[in-house]
Amino acid sequence: MPRSLFEKVWDAHVVEELPGGNALVFVDRVVAHEITTPQGAIEIEREYGDELFDPGRIVAINDHVSPAKDTETAIQAKVLRDWAKRHGIVLYDLGRNGICHVVAPERGYVEPGLTLACGDSHTCTLGAFGAFALGVGSTAQGGAMLAGCLVLGRPKVMRVTLNGRLGHGATAKDLALYVIATLGFKGGTGYVLEYAGEALASLSMDERMTLCNMAIEAGATTGMCPPDETTFSYLRGRENQPTGDAFEAKVDFWRTLVADPDAVYDAEVTVDVDALRPMVSWGTNPGESVPIDGVVPADASAASLQYMGLAPGDVLRSLPIDQAFVGSCTNSRLSDLRAAADVLRGRQVSVPTIVTPGSQAVKRAAEREGLHDVFQDAGALWTHSSCGPCLGMSMGVLAPGARCVSSTNRNFPGRMGAGGRVHLASPAVVAASAVLGRIASPDELAPVGIAVAVNG
Amino acid sequence: MIVSGGVLPVDKANVDTDQIIPAHYLTGIEKTGLGKHLFTGMTGGTDLLAAYPEAAIVVARENFGCGSSREHAAWSLLDRGIRAVVAPSFARIFFENAYNNGVAPVVVHESAIDELLLEPHLEIDLVREVLTTSGGKEFSFTLDSLRKQFLLSGGYMAFLAGKREAVRAWLAARPR
Repeated sequence: MPRSLFEKVWDAHVVEELPGGNALVFVDRVVAHEITTPQGAIEIEREYGDELFDPGRIVAINDHVSPAKDTETAIQAKVLRDWAKRHGIVLYDLGRNGICHVVAPERGYVEPGLTLACGDSHTCTLGAFGAFALGVGSTAQGGAMLAGCLVLGRPKVMRVTLNGRLGHGATAKDLALYVIATLGFKGGTGYVLEYAGEALASLSMDERMTLCNMAIEAGATTGMCPPDETTFSYLRGRENQPTGDAFEAKVDFWRTLVADPDAVYDAEVTVDVDALRPMVSWGTNPGESVPIDGVVPADASAASLQYMGLAPGDVLRSLPIDQAFVGSCTNSRLSDLRAAADVLRGRQVSVPTIVTPGSQAVKRAAEREGLHDVFQDAGALWTHSSCGPCLGMSMGVLAPGARCVSSTNRNFPGRMGAGGRVHLASPAVVAASAVLGRIASPDELAPVGIAVAVNG
Repeated sequence: MIVSGGVLPVDKANVDTDQIIPAHYLTGIEKTGLGKHLFTGMTGGTDLLAAYPEAAIVVARENFGCGSSREHAAWSLLDRGIRAVVAPSFARIFFENAYNNGVAPVVVHESAIDELLLEPHLEIDLVREVLTTSGGKEFSFTLDSLRKQFLLSGGYMAFLAGKREAVRAWLAARPR
């Protein structure tokens, strides 16, 4: 029986079939952060003698509010820290931490064929490696820490075939937004999105992570990319991976983790990416996105229009902005920072602009290339790594009515601050918008060093 | 078990968990005491709750609970006395969280929502899987047969605790 990539990983982890179409699914790796881990850890401590299934399968990361902003968040970080120490769990703490979905792969904890759970919806990011990685609640994460398993209904599988090649300034972020706009905000609910096609093969691991990161924004359980030479090269020589023959033996196994030629899918979608242009969201969910040279659609929902202060037919490029943000688990890896820096080099931002690297390791790599100088010369704020302004939880909160172009993943009402208006876009579009003070694409910018006369 | 109580009519689709409870209220380490933050991220949410102080059942439109995995959404509903959410569809993570915390996710056909939003009071029999309006009209629904036990007895963690031996045996026999 030919199988999809997802089915191969799923079948290898089912401990037991359960009633109601559910299964007891073994979890190879748990990623634990300070916002959603303490509740489950405390329950295990109180009710189950503080006994974890296997602390060696857990990686802990203080990431959402790090450093702590107040007493409550300091306690969250301390609970995670004390718990990790007590159980001998590896902890990435202040100074060597970052966003968990950036740190886990960069430290070699994610590989093809694994199952991975974390109390964070953007865990789907890690499906880029051909792992089955999904976001769960604190109780489910606690269950995985207690018994090594999740109770899951078997998801259906949708193959999303990406034909052609990215060009015209379009990036993986634009592809992610386009896929969501195509499927609809809940069009992936109940499915794993298994990506395929020639456009996928040409994407770097950073780009695949951006693509899979937003699978949840179509409602999908997760996204998955079949592992290939790009995946193996990323992992070869990385910490927490074996070296030499031991690594190559893993590669031999990973090569089997691709869909069989006759695999049958529950749904099929084909996306032609050749003509894809930079995308930007106009509404209050990521599915409400259009090409950047577009307008607010005629059939836009009244609630979205009212919240965003827009009307059908409004030209997106004409919208003035109050803030710009490059960061988040979607777009804060080194290649994202390079893309933003390429636009900002030699230019000045005209609105408050925040650039937040995805991890302290990314930060150091960016600084070795001088990107911190590019950002700061342009007048942007270059911060330490964290989830930052993305979820309005710590720094960079928007004022009511303020409009922000952001390289993040959610434009929900109030996401970056009560009443704040978020337009999702790629790092390059965020940077161009920061320069022009309105939604803009990089091709609108005058070449650096050439004076342009305005109105004669 | 029967959930009986006033309706909180949330006439919106895609009520994401940021609207149910904004991220700046996620700074605690316990599951309790979050009811005061319920729907504070939703336009008109606070006024709505004030208008229906006795509500025990939310009726909403499609894709309820989408977005962030924060279980705080289920905890804040529960702490506010909400024991069921009736909607045409739910996002996966919220759906699981609701079951694990005794908040019944009741899926009914989209065509019933207009009518249910106007109901002052509903009765939901979780064992028989029947929802009854104040006028006596019945709607049947289906619960996940396993998760229904978690819902009725709060036993997700206990269920998994009981599986530990089987999981260790499976792991020992696992190839590679």
